Amino acid sequence: MNPAQTLAAPPAPAPGSPTASSAKKRGAFQTSRLVAPGTLALILIVFSVLSPVFFSAGNLVGILGQVALLALVAIGLTLVVRAGGIDLSIGVALDLGALASAWLIHDGYRAWVAVAGGLLFALAVGLVNALLIVVLRIPAFLATLSVWFVGTSVQQLLTSGGAPIYLSAPLVPDGFAVIGRGYFLDVDAAVINAASIAVAVALLLGITRYGRKLTMAGEQPSAAKISGLRINALIISAYLLCAVIAGFAGVVLAARSNGYVPGSGQAYLMDAIGAVFIGATISRYGRVSVGGTLIGVVIFGLLDNGLNLIGLSFFWQDLARGLVLLAILLAAVVLGRSKGQPATGIFALLRTAQRQAQSTTVKGSTRQ
Amino acid sequence: MSAAIAPANEAPARSAQGRKPGLAAWIGYAGIGAVLLLFAFGSPFFLTASNIATILTQASVFGIAGVGLATVIIAGGDDVLNGGIDLSTGAVAGLSGTVTALAAAAGAPGLVSVLYGVLVATAIGIVNGLSVTLGLRPLLATLATMGVAASLELVFSQNLKIAVSGSFFEAARASVFLGIPLAAWLMIIIGALGWWVYGKTSWGVNSYAVGQNPTAAQVAGLDPRRYRLASYVLSSALAGLAGTLLVARLSAAVPGIGMQILLDIILVAYMSMIFSRRRLVSVVGTVLAAVFVAALDNGLTLLGVASQWVGAAKGLLILLVLASVTLRGRKNR
Repeated sequence: MNPAQTLAAPPAPAPGSPTASSAKKRGAFQTSRLVAPGTLALILIVFSVLSPVFFSAGNLVGILGQVALLALVAIGLTLVVRAGGIDLSIGVALDLGALASAWLIHDGYRAWVAVAGGLLFALAVGLVNALLIVVLRIPAFLATLSVWFVGTSVQQLLTSGGAPIYLSAPLVPDGFAVIGRGYFLDVDAAVINAASIAVAVALLLGITRYGRKLTMAGEQPSAAKISGLRINALIISAYLLCAVIAGFAGVVLAARSNGYVPGSGQAYLMDAIGAVFIGATISRYGRVSVGGTLIGVVIFGLLDNGLNLIGLSFFWQDLARGLVLLAILLAAVVLGRSKGQPATGIFALLRTAQRQAQSTTVKGSTRQ
Repeated sequence: MSAAIAPANEAPARSAQGRKPGLAAWIGYAGIGAVLLLFAFGSPFFLTASNIATILTQASVFGIAGVGLATVIIAGGDDVLNGGIDLSTGAVAGLSGTVTALAAAAGAPGLVSVLYGVLVATAIGIVNGLSVTLGLRPLLATLATMGVAASLELVFSQNLKIAVSGSFFEAARASVFLGIPLAAWLMIIIGALGWWVYGKTSWGVNSYAVGQNPTAAQVAGLDPRRYRLASYVLSSALAGLAGTLLVARLSAAVPGIGMQILLDIILVAYMSMIFSRRRLVSVVGTVLAAVFVAALDNGLTLLGVASQWVGAAKGLLILLVLASVTLRGRKNR
């Protein structure tokens, strides 16, 4: 596959792209793969200079706690993107996971029932997605977009118009509270949860046969099908796993915040997509991976925290985030282009337009 | 040679077998007719002139921004992950509305402040278009600019509602010509222009070609980047115009409204497929879809359906549309 595929639009504008891609594979190293780690280092250095508190152990550990939920959501999304899809309803899975578990705790059930209930609710979202995408063959973006619509309504209906659920702290069983607020060896439980899921998914994608099959199903569906893989089952499994991981993030959120607020999950969506595709830039093949996704997540976490510390208002944070995202992706795409490929961009565009105008006039004259 | 090319130029077909219109071509119209009839019988107010004017005004914002998005999808292809999509359109509309309201509040004349809004929107469109022509996936490029536009809106407005007043905005809201409000006229004019450009001119045919099969279009001597760059700029400019219309209608720029209207804009642009025999996104279809979605909102409210069900109804509607489109596509294969 074309190395820059995940980032760049596949209809490559260059006529000589087949040779260009083989040239890229032979090339020793792509500078584009350094963009994301470089940005991470740059952010660390800049904020360390600007704020004395930033580069302290306490602050950096605190950042890990803040990004744990985003990391969970983004890891789930990594699975789906690896399988060649996208999941915009991931916030709905998170919300329903949080809703079900908070609800069950509120009604006095035990901790494991609440966790299982949350995961089951989230699984339902994954099932709907898989049904729409694999059985009805609706494009993943639009299918999950409508699940987002419907899921938001479902939440409002289940909570009689969007009333939050608050749990009073003494009534929450310890077994539930520890999922989001516990500490083990002075490490936040949310961080432990995210880290263990990250390791599990990284191993799943990295060393198991399932991971390789999933990658094949995502990158070369026709070839995978011809070579006898059951790509439908693989893609379904990716959406289910993604929804369950997002649901687990919801359970952690409910335990951490002692309650459930409708619609809180969608806030993670955009950052998660950004983090996953930032992660794709560090791969030689433009492939998404858990490690890369975590780099993206940490970039967003450090950026938010640093901007807070230097006292920039909340309004500017999205701007910084959007600009950093655009800059990383653009730099990776521009640097990732091999030299054999004709230059693109506005100047080349003007040049081709000019050439085209000439050729069309020539064609027109020959036709007459 | 030219005879072989001619049919492809007349109508960019998705598949050769889709030539027969058949019954399926009318399913879209029939479904919509049925829903509208239901509303007309369900509520005596639904078909009154003032209610229809309200529906048209509501439709104009999504319709105009949707026409922009439709051009992006036409020139980029309707595969959402890799093809054309503009996620920033809602946020750009919000940003443009805020800029317009701020300019009006600072004392700029009405038309000039609208111009400021549209200019800022166009600037974001140029960023989108350049990023995409550089080779970035549209989904990611516009995701990033969506964040930038939404945050600029917050920075400019400080997350406060900015009221607009003055005769210009009152006129934009209230003036009616031949029984149809000004905003709806704008939508009709833009729809007609878009129909002419994308249905009747070589620019439009080339845009479809570039979107449907970029490789073939390139071999034929077209440069996809030219059509795509233009479509992103157009999309943002139209989103900006829609944003100023929204400000005129609400008499204020409300922060955060961009995210709310994004879903409707995407819905409207993709729903245009059901109005096309070949299941292609089209400008006229987008305008019709915008009117239908506005009528659906309006009708459900008139029937007394709770607002949380309206969202669910819209989500199911997109699914229905898409399922019908994809089922039909499979039959052709």
